[in-house]
Amino acid sequence: MRTILILVGSEFRRFLRDKTGLSLTFLVPVVLIYIFGHVFGVSGDGPAGIPLAAVSETGAPVAGAITDALRREKTFKVITTGEQAKGAKPLTEMQVRELMRAGSLRFALIFPPDTQSDARFGLKVKFLNNPRNEIETQTVRGLLEKTIFTSAPQAFLASLQKRAANSIGQANLDQFNRSLAESIAKAFGGEADQIYAQLRSGAIPSGASAGSPAGASFIESLIKIDAEQVSGAQVKSPMATRSVGGWAMMFLLFSLSAAATSLFDEKKAGLFQRLLSAPVRRTQILWSKYLFGTLVGLVQLGTLFLAGHLLFGIDITSNFGNLFLICLAASTACVAFGMLLAAVAPTSAAASGLGTFLILTMSAIGGAWFPTSFMPEFIQHLSKLTIVYWSIEGFIQVLWANCTTRELLPTLGILFGIAAVVNAFSIWRFNHGHIFD
Amino acid sequence: MLTVRDLTKHYGPLVALADVSFSLQPGEFFGLLGPNGAGKTTFMSLIAGLRSADSGEILLQGERFHPEQIKQRTRIGYVPQDLALYADLTAEENLRLFGRLYGLSGSLLRERVAEGLRAAQLETRRHDQVKIYSGGMRRRLNIVAAVLHRPQLLLCDEPTVGVDPQSRNAIFEFVEKLHAEGTTIVYSTHYMEEATRLCSRIGIIDHGKLLALGTLDELLDQLPFAEQIRIARNDATAAQVAAFSEFGNVVATDEAYVLRPRTGLHLSEFFAAMERHALPYRYFTVTRPTLENVFLHRTGKSLRDA
Repeated sequence: MRTILILVGSEFRRFLRDKTGLSLTFLVPVVLIYIFGHVFGVSGDGPAGIPLAAVSETGAPVAGAITDALRREKTFKVITTGEQAKGAKPLTEMQVRELMRAGSLRFALIFPPDTQSDARFGLKVKFLNNPRNEIETQTVRGLLEKTIFTSAPQAFLASLQKRAANSIGQANLDQFNRSLAESIAKAFGGEADQIYAQLRSGAIPSGASAGSPAGASFIESLIKIDAEQVSGAQVKSPMATRSVGGWAMMFLLFSLSAAATSLFDEKKAGLFQRLLSAPVRRTQILWSKYLFGTLVGLVQLGTLFLAGHLLFGIDITSNFGNLFLICLAASTACVAFGMLLAAVAPTSAAASGLGTFLILTMSAIGGAWFPTSFMPEFIQHLSKLTIVYWSIEGFIQVLWANCTTRELLPTLGILFGIAAVVNAFSIWRFNHGHIFD
Repeated sequence: MLTVRDLTKHYGPLVALADVSFSLQPGEFFGLLGPNGAGKTTFMSLIAGLRSADSGEILLQGERFHPEQIKQRTRIGYVPQDLALYADLTAEENLRLFGRLYGLSGSLLRERVAEGLRAAQLETRRHDQVKIYSGGMRRRLNIVAAVLHRPQLLLCDEPTVGVDPQSRNAIFEFVEKLHAEGTTIVYSTHYMEEATRLCSRIGIIDHGKLLALGTLDELLDQLPFAEQIRIARNDATAAQVAAFSEFGNVVATDEAYVLRPRTGLHLSEFFAAMERHALPYRYFTVTRPTLENVFLHRTGKSLRDA
């Protein structure tokens, strides 16, 4: 037993000195648990700050009431004006559609001129969506319906009562309400007197509450939500098209980071001494690594997309040029990340541990596994600092929105920019560090 | 061929090289002898252009050596102490790669690779990955990879570390052949036997300082004794240690006592005394001092203990 305890003590001593092992054992799981917790609602928060445009083409007060109700939901960040600045003009449906096609906006609620018509009793809205992520779209739609169903009926019934009283007089309206209450009680159940009292006050009849099937059916019959997919309708295999980019990026980061950290193995083998005593410069070694990594990345992404095409029917041919460009940009950025790891980490093991931590974190917060909108808002801001986020944006733009090269340029610029900045820093570190000593 | 003047290099507070100066003639086989940590590898890396000196200068064929000038590097071949080979490439692929980096191509490259494989005795294993080679095979390939471009100056940094005696002899023969072909060689080692066998001139280095420089004879002449007497260690001689000490400094090893005679001693005086102590002549062997003695004399410590 003593021997076992001595050996266990030794194991602990070594483990506590292994910073990489410690971080992988404790830090990585804690970070991932935090992110997963927010995504799957363990924290009770749910999605937050999903941009939702609200366009009112009607003067009906119900549009304003629903928009206000949506504003109170932390799930949505309601946008009603073009610039979000004071005095900016309200958005139009046409502008919203443009923004959605460009990928700047994914969801919009339109209150058309006939949101409330005199011809029928009810509410009509349009839900425009660009379902680049199915989970997010379903969640948004569900939350949107919930908000509308719970807030709109109050608003539009009260409005309707007021308008009706003005038009036909209170006495006639009372008579109408009485008839309506009796009809509702007959069709959906409940006490006619109670329903009548609720109708007069503009409240939803209790016999037709949203909690009961009859109530739900009643409300559904009052509110008509026309959903329209603005972009990606032509995509043959939506689910696979949406997810292939994220997974491809994670594997690309792993393989290219491993390639970059091979610098440590070559250093250990003394190969840099041999190469640098030959007519070879440090920068030539680094650029050879960079070019190799980029080409491997391109081939890897090409293989993954080809597999996606063959197995799941993902369309990679109709926008092939732009797909190539975004793959190139993603590869250069991923190689730069790998080189950064090799430049800042003191050992191969440290680089590997740091790489695993950063890749899993970037994949999680960058949207490779689930929508970024499911995470806390500050993580959503952080996600925009990751290669994974911008690469997925690029893949979606190309494969989902079938964008033009011009439309893709900002994303390409960001990825190439990240690659350039990170690479410049890595080269500086390599030239001043110990990797070539 | 090579001149170094006041070459100095520090690693933080550690002085790795301190004002090292000497010159090599073309075709010389120069040995740099010193214990681990003496500064040999630092010296080699400065000459190979892997590091920059803090001060001093290096002249290669009269021209100041600038490591950043790629063309100058082609005059040098460097055999690093590590087995600097791509383990997952074959011997032939390694040689082709390094040959091409030095600008060889076409038939000349093929010819040099074939010669290299022959010299390293790896012709039949040319298509095997280096990772399955023995240590000796890798060492030979390590040297061959540095001479494909026929450098005028070959730097060998402890090329026999961890090598079995048979492979060591093969390496000796290979570098001797290169030397015979006119290559100037700087060979660092901490084995005095290697320096003695291979080098026409030897520099002894310790703590970054060049302590002695010369041919083997010149270095031995610096000692205060020309011979030393090895006395077999047994009960009879053990009883006479005090008597031996009258004639010089006695160092006891596991197998023998080594007597370094005091200046001016005639060996006949010593042997006459031994006869008086009834010790037979077969217990005594007169030998020439070695580089070990020179190192001990210069540093006060054994080369192996340093």
